[in-house]
Amino acid sequence: MAAPASHRRGPTRGRSWPLIFVAILAVHSLAIFLFTRGFLLTRTELDLHSHRDDRTGVSPGCSSWPPPAVDRLVIVVLDALRFDFVAPSTFFQEKQPWMDKLQVLQKLAADEKKSARIFKALADPPTTSLQRLKALTTGGLPTFIDVGNSFGAPAIVEDNIMHQLAKSGKRVVMMGDDTWTQLYPQHFNKSFPYPSFNVKDLDTVDNGVIEHLLPSLHENDWDVLIAHFLGVDHAGHIFGVHSTPMIQKLEQYNQILEDVIDTLRSLSKPGGPHENTLLLVMGDHGQTLNGDHGGGTAEEVETSLFAWSPKTPPDAVLAVLGEDSCNFDLHGNEVCVSTMQQLDFAVTVSALLGIPFPFGSIGRVNPELYALSAGTWDNQKMDIKSCTPWNDLEAWRRRYAEALCVNSWQVKRYIDQYSSSSIIGFSAEYLHHVADLYSKAQANWSEALKSTCQLEIARGEEFKESASSVLQLQIDAYSSFLESFANLARSAWTEFDLWLMGTGLLLMILSVIAQGYTLVKLNSVCQPSDQKNAGVRVIPKLSLAFTLVAIRAASLLSNSYILTEGRVANFLLSTSCIAGVWHSVTKGNFSIEEFVFLLLNIFTRFGIEFGMSKQIAGSTATKEHPVSIVCDIFGSNFCNVFMAIFPIILLALVAYIVLKFSTSAIHERFLKYLIMSGTILSYAFIANHWAAESTLLSHPKANRDIGIRLAPRFVYAIGALSLAISVLCRLFGPVDCLKLNKRITSLSAAMLCSWSPTILILLGRQGSLVALICIIGAWCIIKLQQKYEKDLKLDIIGSCVVNPVSVTQWSLLAVCLFYLTGHWCTFDGLRYGAAFIGFDHFHIIRQGFLLSIDTFGVSHILPVLSLPFIAIYCCNMASKKSKVKDVTINILIQVHLMYGLITAITTTVTIICVTIQRRHLMVWGLFAPKYVFDAIGLLLTDLLICLASLYYC
Amino acid sequence: MPYDPRGSAMGAEATQISALTAAAAHALCLAGLAVAHSLAGRGALVSDPALALRLLVVCEAPLVIVVFSLLRRDPKHCSFLKAAARGLLGLPIGALLNAFGAVVLGAPVGIKFWTATIYWSLLMSLFTFVPAACVFGASKVDWQNALSYSIYFTSSDVVEYMISVPSHGAVIGAWLGAWPMPLDWERPWQEWPICVTYGAIAGHLIGMVLSLILIVAHRRRVRVKAD
Repeated sequence: MAAPASHRRGPTRGRSWPLIFVAILAVHSLAIFLFTRGFLLTRTELDLHSHRDDRTGVSPGCSSWPPPAVDRLVIVVLDALRFDFVAPSTFFQEKQPWMDKLQVLQKLAADEKKSARIFKALADPPTTSLQRLKALTTGGLPTFIDVGNSFGAPAIVEDNIMHQLAKSGKRVVMMGDDTWTQLYPQHFNKSFPYPSFNVKDLDTVDNGVIEHLLPSLHENDWDVLIAHFLGVDHAGHIFGVHSTPMIQKLEQYNQILEDVIDTLRSLSKPGGPHENTLLLVMGDHGQTLNGDHGGGTAEEVETSLFAWSPKTPPDAVLAVLGEDSCNFDLHGNEVCVSTMQQLDFAVTVSALLGIPFPFGSIGRVNPELYALSAGTWDNQKMDIKSCTPWNDLEAWRRRYAEALCVNSWQVKRYIDQYSSSSIIGFSAEYLHHVADLYSKAQANWSEALKSTCQLEIARGEEFKESASSVLQLQIDAYSSFLESFANLARSAWTEFDLWLMGTGLLLMILSVIAQGYTLVKLNSVCQPSDQKNAGVRVIPKLSLAFTLVAIRAASLLSNSYILTEGRVANFLLSTSCIAGVWHSVTKGNFSIEEFVFLLLNIFTRFGIEFGMSKQIAGSTATKEHPVSIVCDIFGSNFCNVFMAIFPIILLALVAYIVLKFSTSAIHERFLKYLIMSGTILSYAFIANHWAAESTLLSHPKANRDIGIRLAPRFVYAIGALSLAISVLCRLFGPVDCLKLNKRITSLSAAMLCSWSPTILILLGRQGSLVALICIIGAWCIIKLQQKYEKDLKLDIIGSCVVNPVSVTQWSLLAVCLFYLTGHWCTFDGLRYGAAFIGFDHFHIIRQGFLLSIDTFGVSHILPVLSLPFIAIYCCNMASKKSKVKDVTINILIQVHLMYGLITAITTTVTIICVTIQRRHLMVWGLFAPKYVFDAIGLLLTDLLICLASLYYC
Repeated sequence: MPYDPRGSAMGAEATQISALTAAAAHALCLAGLAVAHSLAGRGALVSDPALALRLLVVCEAPLVIVVFSLLRRDPKHCSFLKAAARGLLGLPIGALLNAFGAVVLGAPVGIKFWTATIYWSLLMSLFTFVPAACVFGASKVDWQNALSYSIYFTSSDVVEYMISVPSHGAVIGAWLGAWPMPLDWERPWQEWPICVTYGAIAGHLIGMVLSLILIVAHRRRVRVKAD
């Protein structure tokens, strides 16, 4: 690689240094690109479609797609509908305030057992809306990579229900979430889409749906109606499940659903437009108590489906609907709940509507949902070739077995097609097993058909029992085939390309080794003389730093440590502090900074624990949080005032420190006044914004609007402007009028001052506290570094060794700050609200940019940009010697290289860990998001270091 | 061999303590732990950590204070009672320092953990702070020497080995003992401060053994040098 080559040209050429970082960035990008291609592969999407005239199956009875059983279908999707929103509270251990709000569904399920049923629907992760909609319509298992597309949903190319409906001439009306129109741009006859990405907006989408839903029910120009409500999802994201807006939303839905059901019932008389309609009320996924979703925990995958048909099926339906989970509701009526896989939804709906099953569907026609529609019980007697009339149940079983026969044939066709067209398909052994199951089931079926009529005549009554048991066996055989294939698909669908993964990993390891080698070389160039002596002094520090990094890296191999990564980082940071204290006590020069740093660690630790309690346990854990204890003591009124005022006071403090710092650090007069005025203005706007947001003071409306909408934009603008000016100053400003040290200090101070207000306002109210922690942490580390330099100076003169412990502490502090600010490494850990500070409407680039600044600002951008301070204070000591410039640049490069190396090592270990754990249960919930965050973080760090080296050198 | 800078008088005293005495002192401290263990019964630390830790502290405290007060520096000017009083004073101070360190490293501070944390830090104080307080008193140089890791590379006197190696062991053991806490094994012993206590005791015991080995090795080296 280029690093050693450019190194040989010697450190005197400051211009050649950025090349090293460019080379590192390039190698890392390549490695991560290769690994990502291997690891995050999408499932091969087959561009094949089912057709009406497919010759399905081999046997009589299943040679064509099943006939339609319902005429019209109303699907009401309530986004992020938890199972316990729908099921009666008696099914759970204790009653929570959000339970039993959808009374109308419970009542219907209790009163009309034969035609209404509550299902627990189990979704597959990733539980984000887009993936779920895709899964619901294609009947497949969308893969992880689609998560990245969630901001700009692409049209679906795979075969799906919407496509089949359009091909069969069914008319579809859609209202609500505009993701549907992005996924299916041409499939709807009529659509009323509303923007879905402003999570702060609880009502726009819902009101739009309400406006169109009831009138549409009276009309006859559609066959399938989809109404997608978003309020519950947004209420969860913003307020959490345990909140008044959530309960209000649920109560509102209860009212709407009651109206819908009444309307359907009134129009369902024989001859009415809804005579043979099925109503489905369903969620696409669940949510945690914080309103997060995306992962694979029980709360997130357990959603609900409620089915009701106005026309009641015969009594025999009760034999099909299992009674395994029944309980009495609050009114003492018995309510039964069934369980189904969300995977089965697409094929079941297709079977009910009588359209061809989507080509890639791997679900099974769900018997209970299939039986709930009265249409599946009709017209049976003439259909079958039995010699004596069968009772309802047997006829239905026959029909269901036929549907399953077609279902199995379709899945088998997909398996064959998929195995032949995809290079890395399923393992041959499993395929053989599944094929075996299929051929057994098929053989059974022809047996059963052959035997029925002959035997029937021969045996009469006695036969009936055996025939129904034959049918039952048949259904079981098909079910076991379909289930075992679904399991196979679930367990094996992530096709890893081990070659690409291996290459990427190898490249990454090589780059880390090369980076380490360059660092060592750089160090030795710096010390031509006295090298051995300095080396001996550095060894304990170096080994401590290395141990810390190694422990942190090794901790990433376990999912528990990844979950508690913030605490691990904090533990290691505290360990390094305590080791420092230990060291200085043995030397007898304990200083106040060390104590402050220890206190800071305690503070950080509570902050991280608070952030993590939001992640794991939700609102229950926050009750024990110190803030709420304080609130209990002083009363909520005091608390509100405190919460509104406190950040602003802190903000003033932060502004004061920043101003004081920038006046001392920036030496060019023009730049200084510019940056100072920019900073003052920005902080004033931030304070204004927070004041406008708080409900304490009553503002005139115009004033409030300015505060909420315009102030943040001003802050962004000022930030961008001062960034541009400092870059221009760097490019065109006088070069040699200042000493290099001062120049670098003022450049990096200008950089920090332009970035910090933007990051601060995006972090929200916690921002000022976080900024304070940041400042104190940096101050402590730099002071301790200075102290270390002083210690060293007594022994060796003219050395310029960067203290590796300081750089490690810097990077650990950055990790702590990431978790402290309420982020964590999953996609629901992104603070979507931050993207809408100052803006109401969603724009992919603008909001994506803000979101990434919020996510990586305090943990990547600020630490990298402030790295020069470590180097500068180190150099201030060395600068009395000759060759100041070389030494300064060298140290600067060393610090950056070391920081990059630490990040690269952790990322490499994350990659190794992901490779090892690729079949782990939590791979999509935990390891893959962690990998994505680390990879982005590494590339961002590399890029920033690259730019920084260009900027400073 | 770098000569002990504290002067010959102290060096002469130090040589009076043989490896056997050191072993006996360690054995006494160990006996305290064993008695506490037998009183509490098997598994008591897991089922009722506060009680078990209290027993450990109660059994260990008098033994440690007595043993190390007997080994005090400069016995002519400093009576046994004074050394014991120093030890008693050192107990809460050391506990405070240890508790502070534990909280910095992430020990839970909820009200239900308070009693356990207090007893744990007292025990840690007995392992680390009290012996040094009894022996060294307020001598800054001795404390710095005891804390420093240089004793492993350069030779020092027997009491120093006896104090620092087990206390280093206890601290490192406790630090290592915290590692399993975040794992999702859902075992009762992963609670604070059970595994940390196990780690500290294990580290302390290893430290005792190591200190005896170092003492013997040191003796041999001295003898070789003398020959």
